Amino acid sequence: MAANFWASSHCKKLLDADEVGHVLPADQERGLTPEDVKLIKIHLSTYIKLLAQNTKVRQRVVATAIAYFRRVYTRKSFSEFDPRLVAPTCLYLASKAEESTVQAKLLVFYMKKILSEEKGFRYEIKDVLEMEMRLLEALDFYLVIYHPYRPLIQLLQDAGLTDIIQTVWSIVNDSYRTDLILMYPPFMIALGCIYIACVIKDKETRGWFEELRVDMYVIKNIAMEILDFYENYRNIPEERINAAMAKLPQRS
Amino acid sequence: MDDYEKLEKVGEGTYGKVYKARHKKTGRLVALKKTRLEMEEEGVPSTALREVSLLQMLSQSIYVVRLLCVEHVDKKGKPLLYLVFEYLDTDLKKFIDTHGRGVNSRPVPPKIIQSFMYQLCKGVAHCHSHGVMHRDLKPQNLLVDKEKGLLKIADLGLGRAFTVPLKSYTHEIVTLWYRAPEVLLGASHYSTPVDIWSVGCIFAEMSRKQPLFPGDSELQQLLHIFRLLGTPNDTTWPGVQKLRDWHDYPQWQPQNLARAVPDLDSKGLDLLRKMLQYEPAKRISAKAALHHSYFDDLDKSQF
Repeated sequence: MAANFWASSHCKKLLDADEVGHVLPADQERGLTPEDVKLIKIHLSTYIKLLAQNTKVRQRVVATAIAYFRRVYTRKSFSEFDPRLVAPTCLYLASKAEESTVQAKLLVFYMKKILSEEKGFRYEIKDVLEMEMRLLEALDFYLVIYHPYRPLIQLLQDAGLTDIIQTVWSIVNDSYRTDLILMYPPFMIALGCIYIACVIKDKETRGWFEELRVDMYVIKNIAMEILDFYENYRNIPEERINAAMAKLPQRS
Repeated sequence: MDDYEKLEKVGEGTYGKVYKARHKKTGRLVALKKTRLEMEEEGVPSTALREVSLLQMLSQSIYVVRLLCVEHVDKKGKPLLYLVFEYLDTDLKKFIDTHGRGVNSRPVPPKIIQSFMYQLCKGVAHCHSHGVMHRDLKPQNLLVDKEKGLLKIADLGLGRAFTVPLKSYTHEIVTLWYRAPEVLLGASHYSTPVDIWSVGCIFAEMSRKQPLFPGDSELQQLLHIFRLLGTPNDTTWPGVQKLRDWHDYPQWQPQNLARAVPDLDSKGLDLLRKMLQYEPAKRISAKAALHHSYFDDLDKSQF
């Protein structure tokens, strides 16, 4: 039995492009641009991933954490919710929601280890626990997130393309460097990733896509968004990230 | 939390006490569930988180107890969560017990059993369609509004969204009496049929007014089941002997199920039989149960 995305809160809360890319007034005042916001989100998604690798949680937890992180900032400003604390707390929350809890102690240990050099990343257990509560409220306690991984496997089997699963899987992982998970149903994101992989691997799949009767325009939009990440944000120069991060309220 | 006046403690949930309370402004009765924070090192308990997020998703259905809101309070610097639920005056266990035992005993009216079963199947179908299994259905977890004749599913603390492959969940879950045989036998994959088994046991219990399989250990529980339904074998349940905890059990022949539920009519008996199928894949689904002929003469317009 498949879990039902269509009836989920995740589905009902899908957002339009203008609801995710915007800069909230409090952040505008600090001089943050849409580009800065994008960079900060990518930078901290990477941070979540690093923390997850150290605390040994599954990719699924990472995906859920990043989805929380991105969803929070559709409504809350970076000025009010420090992303350097929100990111690890999202991972903490996701680890609980996905039933593979990471101890707060361990998380904070790695938080200090990974980014202790950088200014403003020093947080303690009590900060994480306090932020957990604020995040729950910011998320309206909606914690169930559907991901493209499961539909992906079904789709690839159907298309007879299981040999490219590794490639597609990595592209899906990279899709979390964008806000796509907030905007499109997971199976559409999966299709967008398959589309890219087929181009890279030179697979002829036009017929299969046609039979699916999905809106190819949407699939291509999703693919474009991911390709934009690959082209322009895969290796962001550190100065650009630092410049964006410097606009956040500084902590002593 | 000053908005609520606590009236009495009404029970102990999976992770904390439950209070009956009154919302001062509106006079509305609510059930307050406080999250226990025994491990204050780890913030909000994950059981509470899971329950809240599942309820957020499920409580649009009138067959699932409604989560009205979540209140967050700081008690001496320690965060506490209160889940505020609609209040229902009793649960199915107490409701069955009000029909007395022994000489004063009278049956639960068949029309009520039928209506409760329909609402229960509706609620379970709703959970399953959202990718959630309950895993701990039992009469104590079904809240009842006597006046209105409503039944609602509560206590989703153990439920989970099955968006991951259905593998190796912790096995210590369902209260023994309502636990499905595949769980008792250590199946590594199990799914929504475990809830249907519980629904079947509850169905029988409403009719008999006592539990169908009151085992006090996992082995006893299996023996209770086998004694009534016959010891399963590879014909009646393909693959059963390969399950992790399968042993050689005494060989019983299936008994006449009708004798265990003498007050149930033939259609009800047929539905019960389909819910107590050994092979999980052959067990009737909640959605299919709603279309069973047992409910043919039920006025469904009210649901």
